[in-house]
Amino acid sequence: MKKMYTVPAAFLASTLLLTGCAGFQIGNGNDSSTENEEGKVVLDFWTFWGSEIRRPVIEEIISDFNASQDEIEVQHTYLPWGDIWTKELAAIAAGDPPDVVINDINTTALRGEQNQAMNLAEFMSEDDISGQFYPELWEATLHEGDSYGVPFNTDTRVLFYNKDAFEEAGLDPEQPPTTWAELEEYAAKLDVKNGDDYERIGFYPLWGINYDVWMLNANGHNFINEENEVLIDTETNLETLEWLTGWKDKYGDNVINSYKAQIDSQQGNPFFNGSLGMYVSAPTFYTQIRDYADDLNFGVAKLPEMEPGNGHTSWGGGFVAEIPAGASNPEASYEFIKYLTGAEAQEYWAVQNFDSVANIEAAENAAQSDEFTEDGTMVYSMATEYMNDTLLTPVPVAAPDFMGSVNPKIDEVLLGSKTPKQALEEAQADVESLIEKNTRE
Amino acid sequence: MTSQQESTRYVEEAGKPRDLQNPSYFNHHGNRKNLLKLINFVLLAAGSLMILSPLWWMFSTSLKTMTEVMSFPPSFFPEVWNWSNYIRTWEAAPFTRYTVNTLVITTLVVIGNVLSNSFIAYGFAKIPFRGRNVLFAIVLATMMIPGFVTLIPQYVLFAKLGWVNTYYPLIVPAFFGSAFNIFLLRQFYMTIPNELIEAAKMEGASHFYIWRKIGLPLTKPAIATVAIFSFNGAWNDFLGPLLYLNDENLYTLQIGLQVFKGQLNTQWNYLMAGSLLVLLPVIIIFFFFQKYFIQGINLQSGGK
Amino acid sequence: MAKTKSAMRRKETMYGYIFVMPWIIGFLAFTAGPLLFSLFASFTDYNITSQMDFVGAENYQGLFTEDGLFWTSLWNTLYYVLFSVPLTTIGAILLSALLNQDVPGIRVFRTLYYLPAVLSGVGVYLLWMQLLDPGTGMINLILGWVGIDGPNWLFDPQWTKPSLIFMKLWSVGGAMLLYLASMQGVSKTLYEAAEIDGANTFRKFFHITLPMITPVIFFDVVTSLIGGFQIFQEAYVMSSDGEGGPANSLLFYNLYMWRQAFENFNMGYAMAMSWILFIIVFVLTMINLKLAPRWVHYEGGDNR
Repeated sequence: MKKMYTVPAAFLASTLLLTGCAGFQIGNGNDSSTENEEGKVVLDFWTFWGSEIRRPVIEEIISDFNASQDEIEVQHTYLPWGDIWTKELAAIAAGDPPDVVINDINTTALRGEQNQAMNLAEFMSEDDISGQFYPELWEATLHEGDSYGVPFNTDTRVLFYNKDAFEEAGLDPEQPPTTWAELEEYAAKLDVKNGDDYERIGFYPLWGINYDVWMLNANGHNFINEENEVLIDTETNLETLEWLTGWKDKYGDNVINSYKAQIDSQQGNPFFNGSLGMYVSAPTFYTQIRDYADDLNFGVAKLPEMEPGNGHTSWGGGFVAEIPAGASNPEASYEFIKYLTGAEAQEYWAVQNFDSVANIEAAENAAQSDEFTEDGTMVYSMATEYMNDTLLTPVPVAAPDFMGSVNPKIDEVLLGSKTPKQALEEAQADVESLIEKNTRE
Repeated sequence: MTSQQESTRYVEEAGKPRDLQNPSYFNHHGNRKNLLKLINFVLLAAGSLMILSPLWWMFSTSLKTMTEVMSFPPSFFPEVWNWSNYIRTWEAAPFTRYTVNTLVITTLVVIGNVLSNSFIAYGFAKIPFRGRNVLFAIVLATMMIPGFVTLIPQYVLFAKLGWVNTYYPLIVPAFFGSAFNIFLLRQFYMTIPNELIEAAKMEGASHFYIWRKIGLPLTKPAIATVAIFSFNGAWNDFLGPLLYLNDENLYTLQIGLQVFKGQLNTQWNYLMAGSLLVLLPVIIIFFFFQKYFIQGINLQSGGK
Repeated sequence: MAKTKSAMRRKETMYGYIFVMPWIIGFLAFTAGPLLFSLFASFTDYNITSQMDFVGAENYQGLFTEDGLFWTSLWNTLYYVLFSVPLTTIGAILLSALLNQDVPGIRVFRTLYYLPAVLSGVGVYLLWMQLLDPGTGMINLILGWVGIDGPNWLFDPQWTKPSLIFMKLWSVGGAMLLYLASMQGVSKTLYEAAEIDGANTFRKFFHITLPMITPVIFFDVVTSLIGGFQIFQEAYVMSSDGEGGPANSLLFYNLYMWRQAFENFNMGYAMAMSWILFIIVFVLTMINLKLAPRWVHYEGGDNR
C-alpha cells in the first residue's frame, strides 16, 4: 500500500524543492501603487508585441521615453494577441485598468461610445496633435467629434506581382494591371495549365482579402454611411459580386479551396514559389518574401480600379494607443502616448519593423531610410503614398457586428446557393432591421 | 481486508510484463483467444497510426526552418533536422521560469482537487441527507452556465479580494471542489456496496473513518483519473492565468507559447517545438501514473 | 425506537453537510455571486463598462422574436451535440475495451491514445485545419489512397460540422481514461463465472462489462452533453474570420454569444442567451437523471 504513494510524494517533494530554489513567490497582490520609490509616476503599458522582432523595438522606445524625462516611468507588459482586450475589459470593469493599451483602430469609436476608452478632448484642447496623422486614421478615432485613441500604426492592401512570371507570359513587368479588366486579362495570360491541373494560377481575387475590400474598391465608401443608411444592395456591389463569381467559375471550387486553405493556414504561400502570379496582401507581406523567398523577383502596385477613373481605393486597418476608462494617471499616460506617436518613435518603429505608421512625417522619413533594401524601399514608399487612397472601416456604433449578417449571405453566393441579387437584397434588409432594432427608443 | 489485498495481487500479476516475455504466452490460452488478442493488437496499432500522424506534422514542423515551413506544397519530412530549434524556442522567452510557475500552480491545483472532491463526493454518494438532491442538482447546474458570462463578474470579485496578480484565483477554488470531479467521483462511490458501509457503521465507525479507510482506497483509480485530469486542466489552462496575472514574472507556459503567434505571422516551427516540449511532462506523468488506476482495487471481488 | 431513528437521521444529515461543506463554501464564495449577477444583468442593457438599466424581458423577447442568428446558432449546436455525444461515447467505450486487454505494449498504446486529449488549444485546431486542407491535407490524401474523393471539409457548409465531430473523435482519449478506470473495477470473479458458463468475449463484454460501467457512461453522457452545448474555441479558430462561417455553418451558440458579449458589448443580451442555454441543458440533464435508473446499474445498491 505504501508504495502507491511514493511517486506522487516524490513528485510533490521535487516540485516544492524546485520552487524553493527559484525563490518563488506566489504573487504580491495587485500592487496598485502608481508611484515608485523615486517618486516617479509608474505607468502600465499593455501591448501584444511579444515576438523576438517587435518586443525589442517597443522596449527600446519605452526606455528612450523613460530616459527622456524624470517624471514618468513606463512599464511594458506583453499580453497575447486578441485576449489582451478581453483582459482589458475585465480590468476596466473591476476599476483597475492599465494606463495605456494598444487596441484596434476600427473599433475605437465604439469603445468611446461604450465608455471603455477615455475621451481625449481635454488634452487635445491644450495640445492638438491631430494634424500629425493621416486624416483617415484620425477620423476613425472620433466619436461625436472627440477622439478616444491616438493612431499608432496602420496598413493598406497592395497587389504583389511576380515580374519573372510577367516576362514569361509576354507581359511588361513594369506595367502591372490597373483595371479589373486588365487584371482578368493578365491573369489569363499568367495561367499555366497542365491537363486539369494548374501549374500556375494568374490571380484569384479572394485569396488574401475578402469580397468587402473589392466592394470598397469599387464604391469608394463603406457599407453604412454617417446617417446609418445601408448601402449594400447597390448596382456597383451587384456588379462586383458577379465579377467575383466569374473568377470562381473560372478556376473551380477544388483549386480555389485547396489554395485558400494553404494561404489561410499562414504557412506556405503559393506566391513564394511562383505558382501564383499575383496576390493581394498588406505591405508587411514583403517581409515574408524577404525572409522566405529571397530570390523572388516581384513588384507592387495599387489595387486595380473597377473602371478607368473609378479610383484605386484600398482598405486598411491599424492600431491606436488609448487610455482605458478609469486609468489613474491620464495626464502622464497622454504624455507617453504623445511620445509613442511622435515622429521620432514612429520612425524608429517603422524602420525596425517594416511597418506603416500613422505619423505622416515619420512615414515619409522611413520611406527614405537607407536601412531598407531596394525592394524594401519600393514597397514602403509605394505603401506610404497609397495611404491617400486607403479607407478604414470603422465599425458603425449602431450595428458593430453588421458584417456578421452580410458575410453568410455572400458565402452562399460563392457556394452557389444564392444569386448575387438575392444575397444583397437579404443582407440589405437584415442590416437595416439590425440598425432599426439597435437605434430604437 | 485480506481478500482485497489478494485481489490487488491478482491484478498486479495479470499486468506484469513477465507474461509477455514468456514465449508460450500467446499459445497458452488456446487459439481463439490468441486470435482475438492478435486482432486487438492490430486494431490498436492501426489506430495509433491515425493518432500519430497529426502529431507527426507537429514534430516535423518543429524541426524545419521557417523557409521550409513556408514552402509550397508542404514537405512531409524536414530537409534538415534542426534540433537547435528546440533550444532557440526555449530561449525565446523565460521558459524555465514559466515551467516553475506552471508546476507550482498545477501541483497545488492537483492537491486541492484530490483532497476536496473525494471528500465532497462521498457526502453526495453515501450519506443520505435532506436537501442532497437539490444540492447535487445545483452542483450539476454550475457546469451549465457558459464561462463567458461569469468571467467579468468573477474577475471583479477576485479583484475586490485583492487577488489579481496572484495565483490565488487559479489555486484556491480547486480546494473547494469542482462540479465535474464531484460528479465523477460520486459515480464511482455509488458502486461501493452499501452493506460495506452499513457494516462499518455497525461497528461504530464514523463517516470520516469510513471515507478514509474504505472510500479512499476503493476509489483509487477514479482519484488517479481526477488527478490526471486536473493536472492537464491546470497545465493547459490559458484564460485563467492570462486574466489574473499582470506581472510577466508570474506567467505560465501556455502564455509563454503565445509569443510565437503574432498578429501577422506565426513562427510555426518554434510554436510546434514549444507545444511538444510543454506536452512532454504530461506524457511522462501519464505513463507512470497509469499503474495507479490499472492497479485499482477491484471492489466487487474484494467485498465477497 | 422512532426517536433513535430520527436522531440517527439528524446525525446523518449533519455528517452529510460536513462532507459537502467545502463545496457549499466555495460555491457561495466564488460562484453564486457571479451567477446571480449574470441572471440579474440578463434583464438589463448591461454593457460591462457604462450602463446597466433594467429593461425587463426585452433581451429574451428579442432573442425569440427578432434574432434569426439565435435560431441558427441553436440549430448548429443541437446538430453538433446530437452527433458528437453518441459517437464520442461509443468511440471511447470501444477504445477502452481494446485498451483494457493484456497485449504487448499496452502501456505505450494507452499513452498514445491519451495524447490527443492532452494536446489542447489553438495550436491543435490550426494543425487540424492543415490536415483537413482539401488539396494538400493528409486526410484527403489518405482517402485518396482508398479511392475516395475527399470533401472540401471546412469550406463546405455540409461538411464543417462533421469535420469538427471527426476532430472530436480523434481526442476521445480523455473519456477513454474514465472507462478504463471503471473497467478496472469490474470483478474478475464475474468474468470467471461467465467463462465457466461458456460465454465468449463479446457476450462477456455486453453482459458484464457494459452493465458494470453504466455509472461512468452516464457520467460521460451528461458531461459531454453539457460540454457539447458549450462548444466554442474550435469554431472560433477554425471558421473563416472566427465568425462561424462559411454560411454560418459553424455559428455555434457560444460563438454567437461571444460576439454579442465581446464584440457588440451587449453583455446583458449575452447573459440572457446563457440563461436560455442553461434552461435547455438543465432540462435535458434532468431528463437524463430521471431516465438513469432504467439503465444505470449501481452496484452499491442506490439505483436512483
